[in-house]
Amino acid sequence: MEPINENELFQALEELRPQPRPDFAAELDARVAAGFPRRSRLPRLSPAAALNRLRSLKPRHALVPAGGLVAAMLIALVVALSQAGSSSDDALISGDSTTAEMHSESSGGGERFAEPGEGFAEPKAVTPFSEESAGVAESLAEEQQHQPLAGQQQHFDGSGPYVRGADDLTNLKNRAIERSSQITLGTEPEQVGKASSEVFDVVHDYRGVVLSSRTSDGSAAHAEAKFELLIPSGKLGDAMAGFSRIGEVRSRHEETDDITAPTVSTGEQLEDSRARIDSLLGQLSEAETESEREAVERELRGERSRAAALQASLDNLERRASLSRVSLRIVGGEGISNDEGGAWGIGDALDNAGNVLGVAAAVTLLALAVLAPIALVALLIWLGRRTYLRRSRQAALG
Amino acid sequence: MDRWWRRSKGVNQTLVATAEDAPPATDLAFDALYRECRDDVYAYVASLLRDGPAAEEVTAAAFERAYRKRGRWDPKRGERRAWLFGIARNAALDELRRRGRQAELAADPEDLSATAAPHESAEQSARRLAVAAGLSRLDPRERELIALKFFAGLNNSEIAAVVGVSESNAGTKLHRAVTKLREACDGAD
Repeated sequence: MEPINENELFQALEELRPQPRPDFAAELDARVAAGFPRRSRLPRLSPAAALNRLRSLKPRHALVPAGGLVAAMLIALVVALSQAGSSSDDALISGDSTTAEMHSESSGGGERFAEPGEGFAEPKAVTPFSEESAGVAESLAEEQQHQPLAGQQQHFDGSGPYVRGADDLTNLKNRAIERSSQITLGTEPEQVGKASSEVFDVVHDYRGVVLSSRTSDGSAAHAEAKFELLIPSGKLGDAMAGFSRIGEVRSRHEETDDITAPTVSTGEQLEDSRARIDSLLGQLSEAETESEREAVERELRGERSRAAALQASLDNLERRASLSRVSLRIVGGEGISNDEGGAWGIGDALDNAGNVLGVAAAVTLLALAVLAPIALVALLIWLGRRTYLRRSRQAALG
Repeated sequence: MDRWWRRSKGVNQTLVATAEDAPPATDLAFDALYRECRDDVYAYVASLLRDGPAAEEVTAAAFERAYRKRGRWDPKRGERRAWLFGIARNAALDELRRRGRQAELAADPEDLSATAAPHESAEQSARRLAVAAGLSRLDPRERELIALKFFAGLNNSEIAAVVGVSESNAGTKLHRAVTKLREACDGAD
């Protein structure tokens, strides 16, 4: 046979072309016309049929939706927990309103607040508290004998009114209690100066002492005032109530320390010392020789010095019991609640929008943290399967 | 363009031509593609599988798969025919994998000779047998290229898209396959 030319080759290939059977072609035409009804158009399932279908699923096929369901539930749980956590945080943060509530109640019950100090140590004289005047002797006496019987700290975070128990009242009778307070007030930045002057008024009303004060005016970030005050312990409750009326109470901290033991001990030592001085004076009058007199005088000087130190220490302890130290801070701007300021405004809307966006971002981040590894694993599985399929198909071809 | 406030007043009836009964554009396009490619797809699949019933099954499965994916066809990713033949190729190769059979591109020469037309000349019949024998000697991938070109009627661009090579590479490979087929046919004589 002659060598085959191109046209003959193409004609032969055309003749070799497989043709579908007419029956098959007709059947396929019908299926296409019907839109492949058995597979491509799923019948609407009733709930019972859907349940049966679910039951008939192979475990391998049910694993994916089950995993998705579990992941969704986990995400929901995490979100719910985070929301619960944030709501409790919000409760702490939004203590402004509750603090304001506490403020009004404590101002109403200011006398009750003042009761513990009453009858114990009315100040003999209101004198400025001097750290230096305490002296070494007081420190020594405290180091040796100061063992607080009942150091107490009380935080007022606005969670409720301050009410001291009846037992405390009876126990505190005739005891030396040192009390100190810290209070932070909030006000508008331009009101800081006015609030500061009101602080002075309250201190004056209750015969307190301003140890130090510092007031800074200016923008919201800088407007601030700080005070170190001494308030007669018996009037501390009323004074605190007065301070609370000046601005919005942001925080209040009370601390008590029982200094009865060092006070009693120092008093007894002072009495002993005085008795010793009296005794030495008697010895001095009876001294017969010069050397004997000099020895008694030397001892007398030492004892008088010790008595003076003990007296100073006792005075200081009594001052600490009779005068309560108050650290007061006024901050301007930030965090002032608008409850008193009127209607909800653009600033509040922006704040709320920011909060919502923050929460949304947090939830998205959590969801990503959960879904990203799952998606990565699924992607790797998909890529691996695709590569395997491609290779096996190529291998199947030859 | 009309604005809502410029619309005519007093018109209480709107005539709308309902399109609910008209088939979607994707269905129409798929129908046209099916009518254009049915026999071509069968020829290609049958060439790969060398098994009539299996070829019918795989052809139907390929069209059904294409029907289900008809909405996902992206014109940017190639011609519609190439897309359909890609589906058919995967279905046929999956069938081959499943059966663990080696692909045989050409139809059985005995069958072809048995179906020779009565008026056909001996020379014509001998030429067809030689071509079938030449096809059987080709590499399977070359046989697939021949099938795509001459049985399915795809152009080089579509063949390139189906087998996953560049168009120039597809053209070169196809030319090489045709040359080898001619040499094989001459050698078969």
